[in-house]
Amino acid sequence: MSFLVPCPHCGPRDVYEFRYGGEFQRRPPPTVSDQEWADYLYARRNVAGPAKEWWYHRQGCRRWFLAVRDTRTNAVLEAFWPEDKPEGAG
Amino acid sequence: MDDQPLLGGALRTRLGRVDGPGGLAGLAGWEAARRLAAEVEGEPRIQRLQTATAFGVYEGLLLGVMQGRRLYRVRPRQLIVATGAFEHPLVFQGNDLPGVFLGTGLQRLITLDGVRPGRAAVVVTNADHGWAVAQDLLAVGVEVAAVAEARPELPPAAEALAAAGVKCFAGATIHDARGRRHVEGALLVRLDAGGDPVAGSERLIACDLIAVSTTPEPAGALLAQADGRLGYDPALDAVVPQALASSVHAAGAVTGLSDLGFALLGGRLAGLEAASALGLGGGEASRMATLRAEVEAHRARLRRGLRVRQLTSVPSVGRKRFVCLCEDVTEKDLADAVREGFDHLETLKRYTTVTMGPCQGKMCHLPAIGVTARLTGRGMAETGTTTARPPVQPVPLGVLAGPHHEPVRRTPLHARHAALGATWMDMGAWKRPLLYTSVEAEVRAVREAVGVIDVSTLGKLEVVGREAAAFLEWIHPGRVADLAVGRIRYRVMCDDAGIILDDGTTARLGEDRFFVTTGTGSLEAVGQWLEWWLAGTGRCVHVADVTSAYAAVNLAGPKCREVLARLTDLDLSPGAFPYMAVREALVGGVPALLLRIGFVGELGYEIHAPAEYGAWLWDLLLDAGREHVIRPFGVEAQRVLRLEKLHLIPGHDTDALSNPLEADMAWAVKLDKPDFIGRRLLEAARARGLRQRLVGFELLDGVVPGEGDAVVADGRPIGRVTSSKWSPTLGRGIGMAWIPPELAQEGVEIRIRSAGRLTRGRVVVRPFYDPDGARLKS
Ligand SMILES: [Zn+2]
Repeated sequence: MSFLVPCPHCGPRDVYEFRYGGEFQRRPPPTVSDQEWADYLYARRNVAGPAKEWWYHRQGCRRWFLAVRDTRTNAVLEAFWPEDKPEGAG
Repeated sequence: MDDQPLLGGALRTRLGRVDGPGGLAGLAGWEAARRLAAEVEGEPRIQRLQTATAFGVYEGLLLGVMQGRRLYRVRPRQLIVATGAFEHPLVFQGNDLPGVFLGTGLQRLITLDGVRPGRAAVVVTNADHGWAVAQDLLAVGVEVAAVAEARPELPPAAEALAAAGVKCFAGATIHDARGRRHVEGALLVRLDAGGDPVAGSERLIACDLIAVSTTPEPAGALLAQADGRLGYDPALDAVVPQALASSVHAAGAVTGLSDLGFALLGGRLAGLEAASALGLGGGEASRMATLRAEVEAHRARLRRGLRVRQLTSVPSVGRKRFVCLCEDVTEKDLADAVREGFDHLETLKRYTTVTMGPCQGKMCHLPAIGVTARLTGRGMAETGTTTARPPVQPVPLGVLAGPHHEPVRRTPLHARHAALGATWMDMGAWKRPLLYTSVEAEVRAVREAVGVIDVSTLGKLEVVGREAAAFLEWIHPGRVADLAVGRIRYRVMCDDAGIILDDGTTARLGEDRFFVTTGTGSLEAVGQWLEWWLAGTGRCVHVADVTSAYAAVNLAGPKCREVLARLTDLDLSPGAFPYMAVREALVGGVPALLLRIGFVGELGYEIHAPAEYGAWLWDLLLDAGREHVIRPFGVEAQRVLRLEKLHLIPGHDTDALSNPLEADMAWAVKLDKPDFIGRRLLEAARARGLRQRLVGFELLDGVVPGEGDAVVADGRPIGRVTSSKWSPTLGRGIGMAWIPPELAQEGVEIRIRSAGRLTRGRVVVRPFYDPDGARLKS
């Protein structure tokens, strides 16, 4: 029915309080090839396993953060502010 | 949580004496249950939820619990499942006749409801429990005509019954139930070693009740949903939990063994283990180890004493041999399905709907496995089990449907609109006035005198910070950084694919301070979009949603300056407060932000004031405008007015493939800027050339087409209408449409298929009304 997402600010909350923001990725420099730009826009890794994703706490602190979620079980393994791990965890 | 109104489980329904531990020995089952329940009820640290069904375990050990119409969502850190066991029906001819009962069902009738369920009973069993059922029947004055025990030897409990004159048959079971509308007799038969009936051994016993009491099958669905593994255990002739997930414990008959002493011991261990996992004590390691050993010893002892004989059906023929009583699935249905190739239990289930009825397999799971095993010649274990998905119990959709209310947003002026008798429309969660009087009257008021519309629903964001200008410059295709303080610019916003997300205005209130408006429906998305691009960058930019802090009205029309002048000392002359300028001033004594913009195409002021003064300001404006016959206007009139100006509405006139170049807003895209969000694909779109264009059209004849109607050429669709209205100002139908670029020239004739007829129109690329904006800028 739902699972918990541990917001770094508010603590564990029901997933319905959040907006899913998609897989984490970086915006490439505008000089990359068309293929790379198309991949940035449209191609997703869609891994079965831990995936680093954006989440937004709509009904809470209204902040974006990153979470590593196992897409097979919906267990959120960790959640953190993007500035705290500039290179991320995956 | 207990799905029954009283604690005690199956023990509540037992009349027989328990040989349980210590203080319970010698009590009737229901008495022992009462004693144990009192212990729980006397413990203030145990919160009880009764008549509450735990109907499923979901991700992250989320438990769905239904109590009447109430839904509880429980997230235990440790879960103990003690859901007990079910008996399952046997498959025999006539097993759906009234009068055929499960033994436990009869015990409920006897003990809980005080009902004597019949006059003469035949008990059919392959488990010790059947003999207890026979005892209970005798105790309430039901004659027990016979007990048919499928196992080859009678258990010790048979002695007492035999002594009471009950006929007891070993190695026997029921062949079929006799009777027309109700059970009138049971045909018993002896079984050979292979489980087949022995010819000539039939014996008809008259009765009006048949008690079927089989090996208990654990109610393990919750354990399976909590990532446990269930499998068929031939020693128990049942599907039992074989491995549990961490933080999940099981106790009682759900483990596969029905025994009061074992249930109490196992329950104690489960409780202590859960408590210790939570760091709430639970006892020293050595005590726990001792208890664990005790439980294991008890388990081994019980297993050694087990005498089972697998029994789900007696080989025979007949059309009334029901496997699934909920769904009317017979043994023959399963046989036909297997013959057709659906010989895997999971496909068989879907093909025949066996186990898919209201009981969700509680009754028919094991019979289905047993029959399938025999039909396919595979063993019970090899046949496997079906997946026990939640809910394990039927749940009314109303329980799951969430909050029984619809959130509504009302503007600070809502009561004023209601008093004026407005017709309402829904815009997202907002209620907005669609119309007060008539579109014609409201449009004419704005074009000829003055009108006022509540625009409090506009999204309003304050964007502040040292890097706010640079950030807004980067996120928009248009220019922001060079906007002078006190000036406003139209803004269109795109994603990195160059697709239009939203439009609105940007007003610069200070070097580092911007007031950004968004569409009514796009505020949340726009706010989150800005925050997302800021997240983790450390940029000195702050975005605050101030939408509900302000009431806002748009005062528009040639007379609006005169009306506003009565309420403010601000110099409203075109030189001092020109078109696309913003001012902060007192209006009617209220601190307000005034934006001189014109969505409807007239001289106009968008006035934002603190929400709590909104109604006050509204009253002042209507009063000040009385001389000019000011009229409130609604969304319908506004949409006509903006269409006369060919102002598009993102999401209405655009979709997920619309870029601003094709939407005729190239002027809002500055490709000479360095990198910005959307630049790369907008550049590519320009280089590639436009594939479609958004243009205006006026109708030459016919009716106003519907929004979404096709623009056609040679009988084929080449575009579509996005907006269309009757324009009272122009006296003809007008609209906007996407059409191929080669047709997007003033005066080109197009055809629109509307309600099955063709309507002629003419392309218009400049606004219908005041194309040079002279009135706007006046
Ligand atoms: Zn939060």
